[in-house]
Amino acid sequence: MSGECNDQQDPVNRLLATARGDAVANPFRVTGVMMQYYYVCQRELWFASRNLEIDRENSAIVRGTRVDDSSYGDRGEENLRLGMISLDLLEDGRVVEVKPSSALTEPARMQLSYYLWYLDRVAGVERDGVLAHPTERRREDVELTPERAKKVEDAIRKIHEIVSDESPPEPEEKPFCDSCAYHDLCWC
Amino acid sequence: MDRNYHVFSDGRIERKDDTLRVVTDDGEKKHIPIEHAEAVFLHGQIDYNTRLIGFLNDHGVAAHVFGWNDRYSGSLMPERGQTSGRTLVEQVRAYDDPDHRRDLAASFVAGSIHNMRANVTYYNGRGHDLSRVITDLDNASERISSGMRVEELLGVEATARRAYYQTFDAVLPEAFALEGREYNPPPNPVNSLISFGNALVYANCVSAIRATALDPAVSYLHEPGERRYSLSLDLADLFKPLLADRVLFRLVNRKQITTDDFRQEVGACLLTEDGRTTYTRAFEETLEETVEHPNLKRKVSYQYLLRLEAYKLKKHLVAGEPYEPFKKWW
Ligand code: SF4
Repeated sequence: MSGECNDQQDPVNRLLATARGDAVANPFRVTGVMMQYYYVCQRELWFASRNLEIDRENSAIVRGTRVDDSSYGDRGEENLRLGMISLDLLEDGRVVEVKPSSALTEPARMQLSYYLWYLDRVAGVERDGVLAHPTERRREDVELTPERAKKVEDAIRKIHEIVSDESPPEPEEKPFCDSCAYHDLCWC
Repeated sequence: MDRNYHVFSDGRIERKDDTLRVVTDDGEKKHIPIEHAEAVFLHGQIDYNTRLIGFLNDHGVAAHVFGWNDRYSGSLMPERGQTSGRTLVEQVRAYDDPDHRRDLAASFVAGSIHNMRANVTYYNGRGHDLSRVITDLDNASERISSGMRVEELLGVEATARRAYYQTFDAVLPEAFALEGREYNPPPNPVNSLISFGNALVYANCVSAIRATALDPAVSYLHEPGERRYSLSLDLADLFKPLLADRVLFRLVNRKQITTDDFRQEVGACLLTEDGRTTYTRAFEETLEETVEHPNLKRKVSYQYLLRLEAYKLKKHLVAGEPYEPFKKWW
């Protein structure tokens, strides 16, 4: 009984219960973008979790992390929505994630790892992943190793901590702040 | 930043294909590119239909309506960006918490006084001795304390503004004597200019607030419900000296606006159409002026400063980070 209670408090279990459609007192969702933000900027993660969208002056700016993977769009790739995630599949069934720039490899890799983890834990499907860079024409295989799965779960717990906080983490100037949608809100 | 468009003539505003079209009573047709419009300001007697409202809404463009006396009489507000339950909850919560409300009200008063002072110091030493006014403003500033009730804060603001208005009589020519601030209706040219300028600042603040999902009716210094968009009054106070008053001083002192630009009507002194056009053009040019922003590290327009103010308030309310009112820093 008490074990179950503890289970429900662990964000990872809450996320899994939410994803499986169990009755959860306080559902907890992590999207792929949230996982990515966690590695890009934790303040951005907090803002996004609050729907603090703003219409900044230079709305033409499109963040590198949101580069559209249309260069892969015509290769028979399929888009799959599964609960809180939405992922792109190659013809052979592997999950593909586009890496927008070399500076943001780790966020993209972790987003992909999160998808693999989610597929495995929620749908019971084991898949491999491909991290692709459309301009470099290079691909990296990503596999859900136990270490990677642990990293995903640790990140989920940290994400939970951040988004539950009343206030966002302090702003820190990063090279991509300039092109961030929250730039003016952060620094005004 | 998108532009404001002003329509002074009487006529009709309508959707024509994918643009806005103004057809004046004397048959003149003008197009307004809606993609570049922040808001349209309707100063004349204008007809419109629901198709226009839908079109403005789809493009996120507000229409601010001015009535007789050049008084602001309301806005057609686009839906976009206006709904965020969480933002509204936080906004109301801050209003309901007496300490929080007082802190915000005190910030607005402190910022307003600072910005009035900036205008006074500019003219002090340029042939005018305004050291008394500066002292009065500094005294008012010092009276602001954290325990003050909102009514007391309003009192401090009123005292400061009265002192500040002495600057007008010192700086402006005889024909533009203020003889005390009167609103409704404005009895003389300078009162009329102040009212018109303030109404434009106010309407621009309505547009700025619209971009944030803050509710323009929930305010801190002014009592909600005092006017429909009382939060706009809170923000407008910060920017009146920078926008409305500077434009007024400049136009009158350079004789771009003279007493010929006014007409007397039923006890009110009102701008003529020429006068309004001159003022509005100068006002819009001022909105487009830019200044280097120390934190954003780029130049921003004065109009964007209004938007940033709304962001700052929203960030404070939703993220709990301190709110620092706009204080002219240059
Ligand atoms: S502007 Fe910089 S610090 Fe702020 S949310 Fe964006 S990336 Fe993070």
